[in-house]
Amino acid sequence: MDLLVILNLIVTICYYAIAVFFAYATIRNFIKTKDVQRAITYGIILIPFILRILRLK
Amino acid sequence: MNLKQAKIIILVVVLLLTGLAGYMFYEQRNYKETVVVSEGITEVKKLSNYSDSIKGSVNDTNVYIFDSGKEGGTFLICGGTHAEEPACNLAALVFAENLKVTQGRIIVINRINISGSLATRMGEAYPRYYHIETPWGVQKFRFGDRCCSPLDSWPDPEVYIHYDSRQNLANVDIRNTNRSWPGRPNGLIAERTTYAIMELIRQEDVDYVLDFHEAELEYPVENTIVTHERGNEVAAMTSMILSANVFDVPIGMEFSPKELHGLSHREIGDASNAVSYLAEVAEPMLDRIRGITDEELLLSGKDRFVMEAGKAGLLYAPIDEDGWHIDKRVARHVKTALTIIESNNMMNPDQTILVEGMPSYEEMMSNGVGAYLLDPESVDEGRLYYE
Repeated sequence: MDLLVILNLIVTICYYAIAVFFAYATIRNFIKTKDVQRAITYGIILIPFILRILRLK
Repeated sequence: MNLKQAKIIILVVVLLLTGLAGYMFYEQRNYKETVVVSEGITEVKKLSNYSDSIKGSVNDTNVYIFDSGKEGGTFLICGGTHAEEPACNLAALVFAENLKVTQGRIIVINRINISGSLATRMGEAYPRYYHIETPWGVQKFRFGDRCCSPLDSWPDPEVYIHYDSRQNLANVDIRNTNRSWPGRPNGLIAERTTYAIMELIRQEDVDYVLDFHEAELEYPVENTIVTHERGNEVAAMTSMILSANVFDVPIGMEFSPKELHGLSHREIGDASNAVSYLAEVAEPMLDRIRGITDEELLLSGKDRFVMEAGKAGLLYAPIDEDGWHIDKRVARHVKTALTIIESNNMMNPDQTILVEGMPSYEEMMSNGVGAYLLDPESVDEGRLYYE
């Protein structure tokens, strides 16, 4: 396998791990916040992370 | 309403929006286009029959082979290199659904880069699909990105270095199947795709190749045939015949630059015995100064902002109130391919290819491209393929 392909695979795995981490952190903040406006913001932020983790986008 | 109730409502709305967006992405990624092959078909292969490099990937596309059984030349027609250039896969499809070869062989690939058609181009607000009216109903096609989907090739490097020449190109071009020729078997998907097509060219002993493209009117390589130096005479003859006798807007002829690497018109000719040609036609939807980017613009090729640029002398192709309709763009590509065959027959009689069943330029202009697409429900399953 070409070095570029191996590097891409490693970066891709890291990327999905980061996406899972930020999705978890966003959900955690969503649950903890007492501010409705912040809850809306966290909800909107969550959408692209879910789509990426599910490999839809 | 207390905080808990508000959060539940927010969560429901977020999940609905995620579901809607996810469904739209999933639908485009999985929508299959139908292809009803002509009665003149000999064999349908997969690209992976020529190289394992593409096996199991979304770019393992169908290869339609029309073999007369009589000695002559072999011509490869490539559509769908860039999925945002719809006249290209449609022109190839018109060949696949109508062609009969009576001498020599023609090989057709409707969509070289299926991956690119499975996702939209980010930030461009492109429609996901377009629809062509036919005598039997409406046929739906995917409208995608110029490059492979990031789901199939990611991440892009800071600079894309064309592996063979070491030429530096834009990072996104690592996913571009017209910057990755002649490809390599162990690269990313664009390189693996072009490598598999090079293997097809070598194993089928292809004599000449035509790669269909569309370009914005702001781009200087427009309404032209770009040719490898071994195809100069055929391309010049084709350009003269079409400009003098057929097209209202002339088609030019340009030499493939020897130092510009990764493109089909350069690398196929350099890396194989086949002569490579690339045909361009005007597509106003690709212009940066266009207005609303919708299916209407995609099909009609009419845009008042592009027209204004034309009046100011800023374009490399003419445009008026009639625009550049999809019927005209497809008709030009089909006619260009047929005229390249005729010219090559004259210049290289040992590579003669004779065809039947194809519509003329005038017929396509008056009846529209839809008149030459077949009804999937009116034929045996044996002639039905999906892409």
